[in-house]
Amino acid sequence: MNATAAVISVRGLTKRFGPVTALDGIDLDVRRGETLAVLGPNGAGKSTLLRLLAGLARPSRGSLRIGGGGDGDASASRALARGGVGYVGHATLLYPALTARENLVFAARLYGVDDPAGRAGSLLRAQGLEAVAERPAGEFSRGTAQRLAIARGLVHDPAVVLLDEPFAGLDRAASERLLERLRDLGRSGRTLVLVTHDLGHASALADSALVLVRGRIVHRASAEDLEPARLEAAYLARVEAAS
Amino acid sequence: MNVLLAVLWKDLLSEWRSRDRVVSMLLFSLLVVVIFHFALPPGPPAQAQALAPGLLWVATLFAALLGLNRAFALELENDALSGLALAPVDRGWIFLGKAIANFVLIVVVQVVTAGAFGLAFGAPVLAHPVGFALVLGLGSAGISAAGTLFGAVAVRTRFRELVLALLLLPLLVPVLAAATRATTVLFETGDLDPAPLRLLAVADAVFWISSYLLFEYVLDE
Amino acid sequence: MLALAVALTGAVWALLVVMAPMDAMQGPIQKILYVHVPTAFAAYAAFATTAVAGAFYLWREDEAFDRLALSAAEVGVVLCTLVLVTGPIWAKGTWGRWWSWDPRLTVTLLLWFIYLAYILLRSFTEGSERTARFAAVYGIVGLLAVPLNYLAIDLFGGRAIHPENLSRGSLGEGMGAPFAAGIVAALVAFAYLTCLRFQLEGLRALAARRASLGPP
Repeated sequence: MNATAAVISVRGLTKRFGPVTALDGIDLDVRRGETLAVLGPNGAGKSTLLRLLAGLARPSRGSLRIGGGGDGDASASRALARGGVGYVGHATLLYPALTARENLVFAARLYGVDDPAGRAGSLLRAQGLEAVAERPAGEFSRGTAQRLAIARGLVHDPAVVLLDEPFAGLDRAASERLLERLRDLGRSGRTLVLVTHDLGHASALADSALVLVRGRIVHRASAEDLEPARLEAAYLARVEAAS
Repeated sequence: MNVLLAVLWKDLLSEWRSRDRVVSMLLFSLLVVVIFHFALPPGPPAQAQALAPGLLWVATLFAALLGLNRAFALELENDALSGLALAPVDRGWIFLGKAIANFVLIVVVQVVTAGAFGLAFGAPVLAHPVGFALVLGLGSAGISAAGTLFGAVAVRTRFRELVLALLLLPLLVPVLAAATRATTVLFETGDLDPAPLRLLAVADAVFWISSYLLFEYVLDE
Repeated sequence: MLALAVALTGAVWALLVVMAPMDAMQGPIQKILYVHVPTAFAAYAAFATTAVAGAFYLWREDEAFDRLALSAAEVGVVLCTLVLVTGPIWAKGTWGRWWSWDPRLTVTLLLWFIYLAYILLRSFTEGSERTARFAAVYGIVGLLAVPLNYLAIDLFGGRAIHPENLSRGSLGEGMGAPFAAGIVAALVAFAYLTCLRFQLEGLRALAARRASLGPP
């Protein structure tokens, strides 16, 4: 992999929570426009990796560069890196008392977007949320809230989008729609990092995948390894061997 | 600056929608007024008036403790606090937005409570409106700055309500003492006593500046 | 090494206290001050250490500073408790009552509350990094509150009855040496206890890390 074309570049990334090592010496490059799936069993460190990439947590050791600028150590450049990254977490990050539109306007203002109201309007259109724009986010179903959460993550038009288990809690129809939207997002030239434990979604969306077990990368799958049956066989073998 | 206004707008709008925080704070502080009536020995009205400034500030402080806890409980609901931490801005501005929103809430509650003290104990709350507003403002400013910083801390601990009280009360003794002193002098003589006001201003400066600088460390996980 | 220093300075201190002239008016109870004042010095030093180590932790993100802050805070609370116990015993004998809301007394009491809250905060927070950061912030603001507390209690002035002989330099003859020795001994004892506690905390972190790795 050519490191100069990498929009995300991670070296020796280690994260400890007290005595527990959640991530142990992760090396990782993600090319511009690539969709990377991060797979692994529960507690493997997938979410931790994503939160570190988002700048929500500080690495215990190692370096982390996003979008050419921003080293993971200094807090000023961490703020800079946060500006180029959209994060859609496990939770929706929404305020239940505010309407869909107000949530987006607030997020846009947080990121210093030029025309917050205009940006909120176009995102609501793009996510098909215009009908519920004036309803409080607290009333939304899981699927609608998730669409709004994704709109929130895209509010500053980031080059890199990080998604933590976006399919969790969605019914089949909502899953299908989300899959389509994420595919579009990937085609728009954005770099996607998708944390999931669903191999099917990884096969359907990703250009490459890696498997984390107990904070270490135990398998890297390139495009040809992503064929569902092959991915599953490799995944099961590696997870078995590592745990 | 923009972020400050955005956070302030978001907090006040959320509060305006639900009004749960301001209503529970108000009910609580009015209840405290009633409780005080029964706690005080029956005696001449002058005696109750002498105690009114201190009781007013104790009621305010306790009501503020309630509200400050809710201020961040709201941010935890959908992990919205992470959403704030994600913003590529100086965390100090986020602090200022939240602290000013808390300040507004505390002042609203305090004004109503002061009115109740005026009615119930005959405290001369309307006699010196400008001076009283100054004392209320300076006192509430100190409570809201330290309260916002440690509200963000306490809400992510076990026993969050208890922790916030334990953390804040010993720190806010100077604010409580100076505000009570200034209010007492104002009620008795109609004058502004410079010594407690100076202390309030110093305490406000210390709490606002240190909280502005340290907020970054409590927002990160 | 430090242990030896503790024994040595402690012995000198005890000797000087015994040899110090008996107070004509107060009698033997006055000698409690040779414990009271030096422990107060050490307690203040402990809390300052906690705040400074906390600031260094936030700056350098090195867990050792956090362990130092915690160790100093715990030793400080113990020393401060000693101060708050010895003070009233002497006061009962001399002033005739256990407790007065004297400024220095009140500030010390508030300090004691602040650093007990510091320790409680640590035990109520989950995650060692978060605990360290929350505690550092509270330790720093806690120290900043000390001068404010002094000013606040000054407002209610006129009730300061704490002896000011140390700052006025008007100690009676033969009292200087035991006080000086006491302060040195108390500071050395504070340093020693904090070191022990610090080492213990380091070992604890090491053991926890080993345990989390599982059997080799």
